[in-house]
Amino acid sequence: MKKHVLLIFLSLFILTIKAQEKGSVLIQKGTVLTITNGVQENADVLIKDGKIQKIGQGLKAPSGTKVIDARGMYVMPGIIDAHSHIALDAINEATSPVTAEVCTGDAVNPLNISIYRALAGGVTASHAMHGSANAVGGQCETIKHRYGTVDPEELKMKGAPRTIKFALGENPTRVHGSGNGILPRTRMGVEEVFRRSFSKAQEYTAAWDAYNSKRNQKGFQGMAPKYDLRLQTLADILKGEIIIHCHSYRADEIYMLMQVCKDFGIKKLVFQHVNEGFKVAPELAEFGAMASVFADWWAYKFEVYYSTAYNATILTKNGVVTSINSDSGELIRHLYHEAAKTQKYGGLSDDKALELITINPAKQLGIDDRVGSLEVGKEGDVAIFKNHPLSIYAIPMYTIVDGVVEFDRENDPADMRIYPDIDEKIDVTIAVADSEYDRCMQDTEFLFEN
Amino acid sequence: MKEPRPCRCQLFLLTYAMLLTFSSAAQDIDLRSVSSTYAIKDATIVQSPGKVINDGIVLLEDGVIKAVGKSVTIPAHAQIIEADSMYVYAGFINGLSHAGLPKPKEKTFDRGKIKDPANPPNELAGIQPEQMASNLLKPADESVSSLRKLGFTAAHSVPHGRMLPGKGTLILLHGSTADEMVLINETSMFSQLSGAPRRLYPNTVIGVMAKYRELYRQASQSKDYQIRYKSNASGMTKPEQSFVEEAFYPVLEKRIPVVFKAQSVLDIQRVLTLQSDLGFNLVLGEVKQGWDVIDKLKGSDAKVFLTLDFPKINEEKPDSVTIEEPKTKTDFELEKEHLEKRKQEMIEKHFLQASAFKEKGIIFGFSTLEVKPGDIKKNLNALLDFGMDESDVLAALTTHPAELLGVSNIMGTIDVGKMANLIISDRPYFQKESNLRYVFVNGNIHEYEAKPDKKKEKDTDKN
Repeated sequence: MKKHVLLIFLSLFILTIKAQEKGSVLIQKGTVLTITNGVQENADVLIKDGKIQKIGQGLKAPSGTKVIDARGMYVMPGIIDAHSHIALDAINEATSPVTAEVCTGDAVNPLNISIYRALAGGVTASHAMHGSANAVGGQCETIKHRYGTVDPEELKMKGAPRTIKFALGENPTRVHGSGNGILPRTRMGVEEVFRRSFSKAQEYTAAWDAYNSKRNQKGFQGMAPKYDLRLQTLADILKGEIIIHCHSYRADEIYMLMQVCKDFGIKKLVFQHVNEGFKVAPELAEFGAMASVFADWWAYKFEVYYSTAYNATILTKNGVVTSINSDSGELIRHLYHEAAKTQKYGGLSDDKALELITINPAKQLGIDDRVGSLEVGKEGDVAIFKNHPLSIYAIPMYTIVDGVVEFDRENDPADMRIYPDIDEKIDVTIAVADSEYDRCMQDTEFLFEN
Repeated sequence: MKEPRPCRCQLFLLTYAMLLTFSSAAQDIDLRSVSSTYAIKDATIVQSPGKVINDGIVLLEDGVIKAVGKSVTIPAHAQIIEADSMYVYAGFINGLSHAGLPKPKEKTFDRGKIKDPANPPNELAGIQPEQMASNLLKPADESVSSLRKLGFTAAHSVPHGRMLPGKGTLILLHGSTADEMVLINETSMFSQLSGAPRRLYPNTVIGVMAKYRELYRQASQSKDYQIRYKSNASGMTKPEQSFVEEAFYPVLEKRIPVVFKAQSVLDIQRVLTLQSDLGFNLVLGEVKQGWDVIDKLKGSDAKVFLTLDFPKINEEKPDSVTIEEPKTKTDFELEKEHLEKRKQEMIEKHFLQASAFKEKGIIFGFSTLEVKPGDIKKNLNALLDFGMDESDVLAALTTHPAELLGVSNIMGTIDVGKMANLIISDRPYFQKESNLRYVFVNGNIHEYEAKPDKKKEKDTDKN
């Protein structure tokens, strides 16, 4: 009995669950890669209460402020991943070709160890996306990698614009067409799903407008249109309140979605994967659509056989705001390396290559006024590297979110799990690796059984 | 367990047998017990947690506690229970259970016949809030007697199902008909984050939460119109009849709470998110991992029923390694030790949850949706090893659930005027070798034999 009482006090406090705090830290004498304002040698970055307060030389911090000696190191804004599925308990609600009403924000899992692994790769924010099973998928959540909390709300980047996943091509046609024998069975069907959805949303808005204009009239007895969360969300896209992030490969389809968006007056559009984006780069630029691509990954299914490692460079040189994403809990750990590939394939400058994983993904998520570069007033999200982040020898040393050091290579405990699995069979001789598969299609595997 | 489909002749026999049963049941009702007055004598009466009367008398009459104390006049017609050396407690109240509601067979369905998986019939989608637990009650179900045998005399019982299985009811664990058992017909709208079967909407937690919001808001909207339509329909278009939406009305009017099953730390918080989006009164049931979110729970005013389903705890086995000469451990061994230790700590937190809630001043009851009845007493006793004392556990079984379910005026303690729900144990209940000898439910007596000594020894061995 006594033993257990003691245990109570021990156990309750062994793992102090971190309440989300804003930190202060002074990073001294590093090579500061601001992204938007060039490189400052031997410069300090002062973060106070979660915000960047000053960048310059010989900065002083109030006593008690944590100081990081960054001599010989590179200080850059925290890396942002515009396409990821880490920290989610559900990715695809694959039961309907249109699921605009669902939100991955409801499935955020702050206990997921992948968050810490991403931090160990300098990534401070990611776009926790719905999967690509449906033509119109669910709404996504932009999260900050504040690891150590059990509260999903604390991961959410409050105030970040709403985003939604769309998908073209094989995934939605396989799931719904081949899987269930319903629309969309073909690429044409996918377009039809979009057009039909947006048309219904227009009707929905019109019905509500008509109702609202009459409801306060004396003696009005009419019935309100039936509330529909799906149509409401689609209507919000039409109003410009939600950024579309569309899973895409083929140029013809990419072009098709731009035409659909033009017809419905939608301007906020980001293409994901976009492996044939290089074929329609001028069109993308003209529309103002952005592109988030893999550095050099393709040929994992038929519609993505035709691609090139020069994709990011070609898009960038055509004026398309381009980012490089992970779509994977493994790739997310070395996005700096992925970005560096654009120097091998296309010869992008350091600045342009780093933009692909900082300010550009921030623009695509609509958070570039808050993160993505080292500027006074922006949020204190920083990655510090030994060796230049685009060097093959780059090593992430510190990762800071809101001024709080979330990863420190010199102080990196072996077991960072928050809630260990109580059903786990412990056998340290067997290495358990995350199986590699297309996470975009998670929760849909059953559709392809038999 | 599954019965084969009866053929015609079997059906006939079955009907005949049932008729016989009914007629004999009718005879039972005619043959009332000699007296509905009982006097429990010379007992140690635990009136309420921490309040004990030694050598006292409890007098029950017509299902009500008439008198409690040391000097109670026993009427001549009372049946006497000689309870010398026995212990009397208020009957336990189960905060959330499926008592009297056997799990229905999983219905098979032909996927080919479902034209649109995005819009499956409500029954398959798990959207049946209009179901009433009271209509589904099976008084003879084993779950009733097995809980009663443990000392439970009342239970909040909810239907099985998926996201919206139906309305909960407060039942007494005695009776041969639902009418006899049901105390409060509609106590809650039961909800879970469980989705429809594969391929059917809503399948995942994100689908369920979106659908929940939509249904709730649709109900809230239709309710306003329905009210206007009912007050004067003249000139108004007839609203669609929706049993699902109507089932939400008592929740919207705050007449009943939503009772949400939420076990994991994340599910608990997902439910809190829904509550803050929609604003219903919330009771969380079957809480398994709530220790880190107690403050958040406090802020939500949610009521809480903690699970009695605990993970298996590793009994400390003699470790053969320690007997050997001390040697330097390999990295593998050290890592394994560390991982084992963290796993054990995590398991123990499940047992410590109740005392963590107690420390933070949150009152709670227990729910038994997941636990096997055979484990309940063992698990209650385990709590005593993890920071709870007997009064705490007793309160979580009696006064606290009575308060949380709004029936403190009739249940939870042995006080004059309360319902005659009480249990009599041959030793203090929380002694492992104790046996329940009598359970009174609404004044109806159930008698149990003491377990044979052999079993006792076996139990003792476990200590």
